[in-house]
Amino acid sequence: MKALLLFLFPCALILAACSSSEVLSFTTGEVPLLASGPLMEGSNTAQGEYQPALEQWLRSKGASMADVREAKLVKASFMLPDSMNSSLMSEITLHLAAEKADMQKVGVLNPVPEGQTGLVLQTAQEQKNIADFLRQPSMTFVADINLKKDTLPDLHLKGMFEFQITLNR
Amino acid sequence: MYMKSLWLLCGLMATMLTTASAQDNGDQLIGLWEPSNGKARVKVEKIGSKYYGKIVWLREPIDPQTKQPKVDKNNPDESMRSVPLKGYRMLKDFVFKSGEWTDGSIYDPESGSTYSCVIKVKDENTLDIRGYVGVKALGRTDVWKRVKLK
Repeated sequence: MKALLLFLFPCALILAACSSSEVLSFTTGEVPLLASGPLMEGSNTAQGEYQPALEQWLRSKGASMADVREAKLVKASFMLPDSMNSSLMSEITLHLAAEKADMQKVGVLNPVPEGQTGLVLQTAQEQKNIADFLRQPSMTFVADINLKKDTLPDLHLKGMFEFQITLNR
Repeated sequence: MYMKSLWLLCGLMATMLTTASAQDNGDQLIGLWEPSNGKARVKVEKIGSKYYGKIVWLREPIDPQTKQPKVDKNNPDESMRSVPLKGYRMLKDFVFKSGEWTDGSIYDPESGSTYSCVIKVKDENTLDIRGYVGVKALGRTDVWKRVKLK
């Protein structure tokens, strides 16, 4: 038994060393998010739908969906419209939602720094099955924004998101 | 031939009416609700075809220890412990089928635990919210009341 284990352990090490991986960066470009007014003090929701087209992107990299080992959101940022700055906001929480995946919280900014027009969120350390969102034809970025006071008009944000895709090669 | 087309048309219309009615019933969940302990109010909304609920009001919004607005300090993921409880999505991914909202989860901010959950409507202003682990029978039901805005 001991001899068998001594034989299997190096074999497992060799196999692990041989299975290499490649890490790629997948960025969304600008995703428009809208919170429909009237917006009230407290929690408001901005949503933006996005078609990942991951399969096509992978093909351009000489890979396929089957090669995806895992995905992780590594950067999430928002640009505010010129007419407003961040002083109106107290906190932002970002979720991913999709028809065939469970909603997942992936980012937070608390507190929102004052007087900014560009905001970078802290992304979650623990993320599960993010590739499931990117595999779907459509997913939704959901930003829950706590406002310090009532504002009447709609809120338009531009989101930029970067995913790290690990491929089996 | 004419009769056959008429029957097909009737069948199609019946299907459309049933689908529309199912959607309407599912949307009964949308609105503002208060759990039996009265500590919070939860706004339910629809994103895509699923229902989600977030905390929009807290009876005690300030943490007595930090003197700051309450945050999700019990989250197992340390990086997400600064997420504010006001605006927190505690009901997630509910799908309306067979007269109830199912396949969703409920998060208890007091313990940092997430439970499977099924929601049933008792009447238009009352919900039975059952959280459970694994088997529905081994769960706990809370009664939520609709909050009517004056």
